[in-house]
Amino acid sequence: MIRPVVMLPAPVLSTRAEEVTAFGAESRALADDLLDTMRASAHSVGIAAPQIGVGLRAFALDVTGHKKADSCHGEVVLFNPEVVLATGRDVGREGCMSVPDLTGDVARRTHVVVRGLDPDGVERVLECNAFEARAVQHEIDHLDGHLFLDRVVAADRVFPRRVYR
Amino acid sequence: MTHELSVTAIGEDRPGVVAAITGALADLDANLEDTSMTILGGRFAMVLIVDVPDDVGPAEVEAALARPAADLHLDVSVHASDPSSTPTDGARHSVAVYGADRPGIVHAVARALADADVNITDLATRVVGGSEHPVYAMLLDVTVPAGTDVEAVEAELRHVAAALGVELSIHPADADIL
Repeated sequence: MIRPVVMLPAPVLSTRAEEVTAFGAESRALADDLLDTMRASAHSVGIAAPQIGVGLRAFALDVTGHKKADSCHGEVVLFNPEVVLATGRDVGREGCMSVPDLTGDVARRTHVVVRGLDPDGVERVLECNAFEARAVQHEIDHLDGHLFLDRVVAADRVFPRRVYR
Repeated sequence: MTHELSVTAIGEDRPGVVAAITGALADLDANLEDTSMTILGGRFAMVLIVDVPDDVGPAEVEAALARPAADLHLDVSVHASDPSSTPTDGARHSVAVYGADRPGIVHAVARALADADVNITDLATRVVGGSEHPVYAMLLDVTVPAGTDVEAVEAELRHVAAALGVELSIHPADADIL
């Protein structure tokens, strides 16, 4: 089911999301909602549960076909993700479905290994670089209550967002 | 009803400038719609677009800012602001230019961009490297209109840069929505 995207300044976006402890029909339904909502936003490559108003540690991601992508695991839904290794640093311009009108330059790790659980509670370990690594870090930030605005490299590196039609 | 005014102030850089100016504006029920503030050549410079009640005009705002301006040695001016911007639809790019300092770099690059109908949306320059070998650095954000050949714009910019003896690079700056 496509869910409405929660916008700034909703408190759920600045609150640390809770661990998911039970896996089954509910976690699979959340995964489906994340994928449906992500697919419905053609210009977005990822969405975190707080962005659909759910304060749980889960996100969906798909960088397939993105010009800045190198590693690509296709459609991924990860619960309780944690970064177990992170190296490199690169600055890139990010926007967010939950932040209207603005984009900003954010420094991210260029290579991450992330561990989490799939919608059935089975462990997955993903090695990501380039754009997929940036997207993973952006989504995990949502689970910790951080927006890209919290990480912009300098006050003068925030910009008006291009209007999508 | 409300209307928009532009407020510019420039003067000594010291703690309390922003607090004093915005305090006087808040007392007038002015809402800050858009602001840019930075240090230029050791002076603190601010440009604010403020939304004020209709019975507050430029003269009232200047009067309210007279005291903090005098206390803090700021030049302040207030004008009616018509929000008539016509944003260009197109691809955002960042341009970096750097090289030995000489007059006319900004003009030559801006002229080439204007001739290609490319809109400059942000521009900052700095002179670095000390007085013996000053290096001029300029960063621009530009919008290349839809249908314009970016490679042709880049070629023309490279031609201008070569004539000036400076380095120039241009790259896409579209944000990724995550």
